[in-house]
Amino acid sequence: MSELYRETIMDHYHNPSNFGVLDPADVEMELDNPTCGDHVHVTLRLDEAGNIAAMAFEGNGCVISMAAASLLTEAVVGKSPAELKTWGLNEIQELMGGVRLSMGRVKCATLALEAVKRGLNQAGK
Amino acid sequence: MLDANRIRADFPIFEQPINGRPLVYLDSTASTQKPRCVIEAVSAVYEHTYANVHRGIYPLAEAASEAYETARQKVADFIGAREAAEIIFVRNTTEGLNLVMYAWGLHTLQAGDRIVITEMEHHSNMVPWQQLASWKGAELVYAPVTDAGELDLAALEALIHGGRTRLVSVTAMSNVLGTITPVQEIVALAHAAGALAVIDGAQSVPHLPTDVRALDADFLAFSGHKLGAPGIGALYGRRELLESMSPFLFGGDMILSVTKAGATWNDLPYKFEAGTPAIAEAIGLGAALDYLQRLGMDAVHAHEAALVRYAMERLAEVPGLRILGPTADKRGGVVAFTLEGAHPHDIADILGSLGICIRAGLHCAEPLHRRFGLPATARASFYIYNRHEDVDALIAGLHEVRRVLGLNR
Repeated sequence: MSELYRETIMDHYHNPSNFGVLDPADVEMELDNPTCGDHVHVTLRLDEAGNIAAMAFEGNGCVISMAAASLLTEAVVGKSPAELKTWGLNEIQELMGGVRLSMGRVKCATLALEAVKRGLNQAGK
Repeated sequence: MLDANRIRADFPIFEQPINGRPLVYLDSTASTQKPRCVIEAVSAVYEHTYANVHRGIYPLAEAASEAYETARQKVADFIGAREAAEIIFVRNTTEGLNLVMYAWGLHTLQAGDRIVITEMEHHSNMVPWQQLASWKGAELVYAPVTDAGELDLAALEALIHGGRTRLVSVTAMSNVLGTITPVQEIVALAHAAGALAVIDGAQSVPHLPTDVRALDADFLAFSGHKLGAPGIGALYGRRELLESMSPFLFGGDMILSVTKAGATWNDLPYKFEAGTPAIAEAIGLGAALDYLQRLGMDAVHAHEAALVRYAMERLAEVPGLRILGPTADKRGGVVAFTLEGAHPHDIADILGSLGICIRAGLHCAEPLHRRFGLPATARASFYIYNRHEDVDALIAGLHEVRRVLGLNR
């Protein structure tokens, strides 16, 4: 069976971390993956130093997009916006336990990260 | 039914296992595998008869031109065209429909004219008309699809008569719902209103007998790569229409004479084939049509009808599975479905690791998915090389999907 659907990934899918909306939030963005209908809504709060204090997400989509979003909410805490903007597929694959994603799943896996990066840009962070 | 095991032996790709399992290929609606006779026909062109067509007068060039034109005649015969000159080689259905849009629509349509399509169209029979309508100030209207996944023919008729309809363009078989549409009636409705009828034959020509004269179609486009041929397509157009139309692409081979002041156009069908065409691909298409002709298109359709009937029965056994579209007797070999709790991408990914190839997503039919309130679907489709065992593998695979995704808990 595909190594993608291991227990940790399935746990994050069935019981996602930080599922919901931060209100108020310093950064907010909604993003769709039009080819498969995945949808995420991310909200982030920054600390006094401008680093990520907390992140939440809500949305619906495939196992990969939702598990990646859940893992991301944990991984971004304490990181600076500048550092997050350099993150890409490699960082997401690391978060997912070092899996190698097929071309068709890259957009699913990076949807939440892409939303965070766009949100940071929009908020001028 | 066709002897699918014998047919599979004609397709080299099935000799190669996927992750140690036999290939279960259920994505022929997207593109089909190629029989050995087509692969060999294409190789033979490059090994024995390749040269540019319609140019050289040395024997090799004449042989290439003759093989290319023989392929065109085979296309004409396969779809019932009056003559080979009514067949234009294009890259695919999309290019064929775009040709009609540019070469007929752009020069003919007036502001306020109406184009009628349906909600079940593939984007390639939708977006070109959207563009045309926006460029010309024309009106594009969509005939509705019923909850059962059939075309609402009464509504279509009302739309055709509800405006200055110049063009009706419909699919003969939906690539998502599998619905076989009553094209003959639709062509008649279009003509009664003085409109032209365009048929998107991408899904029908590979799977059903086609006779453009019996249908009285004005244009019909299809893709060779969906019927065992390489990447090439063809557009049929009625001679009078093609003659009245301006060229779509300009360049070599499509001209009669060029001066610094301008150019005059070559005869049909060359007027619409600018530049060096896909020569070997056209000859490969001829070989694929010969292959289908030997099987018989009635037998092809009957084979797929039996498979889809069996698939729909078996799919109903899978908990949480919902099939889109009409009953088996009203559709071709396509079944799109959703599985409660499972995203289509995950279904396709897990099935893929089991050697089962299905498509997941919107299948280039986003408005149709919105019509049914679905973000995406999974789709299995059948062709001549599929067997009941492939359906059984799909069902077993879907039970595995449910297990992996924890849906049995």
